[in-house]
Amino acid sequence: MRPALLALFLVPVVAAGSGDSACAACHAQETAHFRPTPMAQALLLVENCEILKAHPDMQFQEGPYHTQIKREGDRSIITVTSGVESFSVPILYALGQGKAGQTYVFQHDGAIYESRASFYNETGGLDLTIGDQGTTPHTIVEAAGRRTGPAEAANCFGCHSHGAVAGGILHLESVVPGVGCQSCHVQAEKHAAAVRAGNVATAKMAHLADLAAEETLELCGQCHRTWAQIAQTGMHGPNTVRFQPYRLTNSKCYDVEDQRIRCTTCHDPHGQINTNLASYDAKCTACHSTALHTEVCSVAKDNCVTCHMPKIDLPGAHHKFTDHQIRIVKAGEPYPN
Amino acid sequence: MLVCGRALAGLAGLILSISDVGWCQGADSPEGILRHALQLHQAGDIAGAIAEYRAYLNQVPDNLMARSNLGAALARAGNYEDAIVEYHKALEQQPGNLPIRMNLALAYYKAGKISPAAGELEGVVAERPGERQPVLLLADCYLRLGEDRKAIDLLDPLQQQTPDDKAIDYMLGTALIRDGQSARGELLVDRILRDGDSAEAHLLMGESRLSAKDFADALEEFGKALAINPQLPSLNGYYGTALADTGDITGAEAAFRKELASDPNDYVANFQLGKLLEGDANYAESRRCFERALTVRPHDRAARYQLALLDLEAGQAEQARVALESLVRENPQDVDAHISLATAYYRLKRKPDGNKQRALVLELNAAKQAAAPAGMSK
Repeated sequence: MRPALLALFLVPVVAAGSGDSACAACHAQETAHFRPTPMAQALLLVENCEILKAHPDMQFQEGPYHTQIKREGDRSIITVTSGVESFSVPILYALGQGKAGQTYVFQHDGAIYESRASFYNETGGLDLTIGDQGTTPHTIVEAAGRRTGPAEAANCFGCHSHGAVAGGILHLESVVPGVGCQSCHVQAEKHAAAVRAGNVATAKMAHLADLAAEETLELCGQCHRTWAQIAQTGMHGPNTVRFQPYRLTNSKCYDVEDQRIRCTTCHDPHGQINTNLASYDAKCTACHSTALHTEVCSVAKDNCVTCHMPKIDLPGAHHKFTDHQIRIVKAGEPYPN
Repeated sequence: MLVCGRALAGLAGLILSISDVGWCQGADSPEGILRHALQLHQAGDIAGAIAEYRAYLNQVPDNLMARSNLGAALARAGNYEDAIVEYHKALEQQPGNLPIRMNLALAYYKAGKISPAAGELEGVVAERPGERQPVLLLADCYLRLGEDRKAIDLLDPLQQQTPDDKAIDYMLGTALIRDGQSARGELLVDRILRDGDSAEAHLLMGESRLSAKDFADALEEFGKALAINPQLPSLNGYYGTALADTGDITGAEAAFRKELASDPNDYVANFQLGKLLEGDANYAESRRCFERALTVRPHDRAARYQLALLDLEAGQAEQARVALESLVRENPQDVDAHISLATAYYRLKRKPDGNKQRALVLELNAAKQAAAPAGMSK
């Protein structure tokens, strides 16, 4: 059954939906728990965006181009000036809740643009968007943002929102901000309809908690990037630290079949990230213990992740990312893979 | 590339004519049946001719020419598979018969079996290297098979002998551009354009731009070609590719379907439409497109890889494994195939084999990075 189940996960289509209210009718606790999470707020409406409200006038200088993001009522406007010309456009959406950073999207000439300047929490202001490092804008519009192709735009909205992509095409009119129930539970709509109709037989859904490590990583990797996606690009070095499923897969202790080393072992998919590092120790000792006669740490008994999952400073990101390639870190050794 | 396919259509015809058949026998005699078959064939009653040829061959199975005529009638009725069978039977009797071999090649070609068509044509061209039409059809087969170098080797001497032959300029230009020899290819395009604006020249320019990943310019060239001759073979396949690359998915799909309506065996249109449909989760139709692309180019790695991905998607991990193992055996540097093979192994619960593939991918990627010039690494 599993391969068929996986095929369902891997369909990169998010059906047009009306958000999670249908799910909340029966699963109130899960949906309430999920709503404040960074995933549920992966895309924000400009009028509700706390960062844009709290920073009503942000500025960024890049060569001859001066970028300003200014609050005007419920809107925020990006204006780029070069001394000779100027370009202004309202922000359409904010991507990311802003724990590390927040990037903005706008529409121009029928295309979706990703802002060239992003907000970084560590600095409390704007800096170059991480993917734009090493590039130079040639026009004032390029200084404001990078034009995305239809497939890329669909990918962005496919992960940061739900209900927006059908048949690989972005439908802005049906965007529901943030990751929703059906982003992972792709049969949710069918399930809800069957429940409403009282049809128990067709209401059955895949039980995601039963997935093995590899299956879970493929599911989460749809947005956080799978090992295969990163390996296909040949990307290596600290940039890969943002792609947790890829990093975790490269860990020596990773086992495709073992449920003790999957994303949901440590992360509650419906909840907030647990910042108490000691709370993760039990996950490590589920495998590494004297009782199980397996390899145990000779240096410390607790806070395993502080050494074995080091924080990596990604240049330009103004944020330290936890490296999910679990390993024995040796002083001076280069970043692996 | 029906440029030469059309020109050669006349070759696929009757080998035996009425004047070859004696008139003294009665209507029910074998000769009478054959004469009737020929009359029907020449009058355009193909179904009747086929029945009569079959009746005659039941009595006289060794008549080579009647069997060949049966093949021609079957081909004319669009029944290429049966025509191929009859031509083969005829060739068993007389392997060196070039007209029958040519007809067999055409039947293969029309059936979309380009690889065996090329095989037969190679035999014909080896025997009669000076005949233009078999050479052009063979070159067309090579282009359809993606064997651009072979097309260049075949056409280069011919182009030097007949420098004003536009069909040769066009086909050689196509082969050169696809082979990455854009500068030489574009010289031939210029030569074609000297006689006035032509859809063929714009198609070639578009292909050249497409291979340079200059999608907007490619689209413009294909648009110009379409304005001149919207029926030009292969044009809609390339136009659709440029549309897809510039984001017009709906337009691309329509263009691919238009190409396939006029030529169901167009490799580009089949392959690209397959990819679009795969992205749309329309796996059944996507598979049909890739299978058709593979019929045209039986060894094509790209189509085989896409089919393996569809197998994985459909839960056919064992089938995918077989295909992917074959791909990595043929090209051990194929990172994508190794990656997907790892997935196939994991789904088949062959963890150590999957782990081996992943380790190989990391090694290949590291080697690639080490070989990349400084500053090129991602």
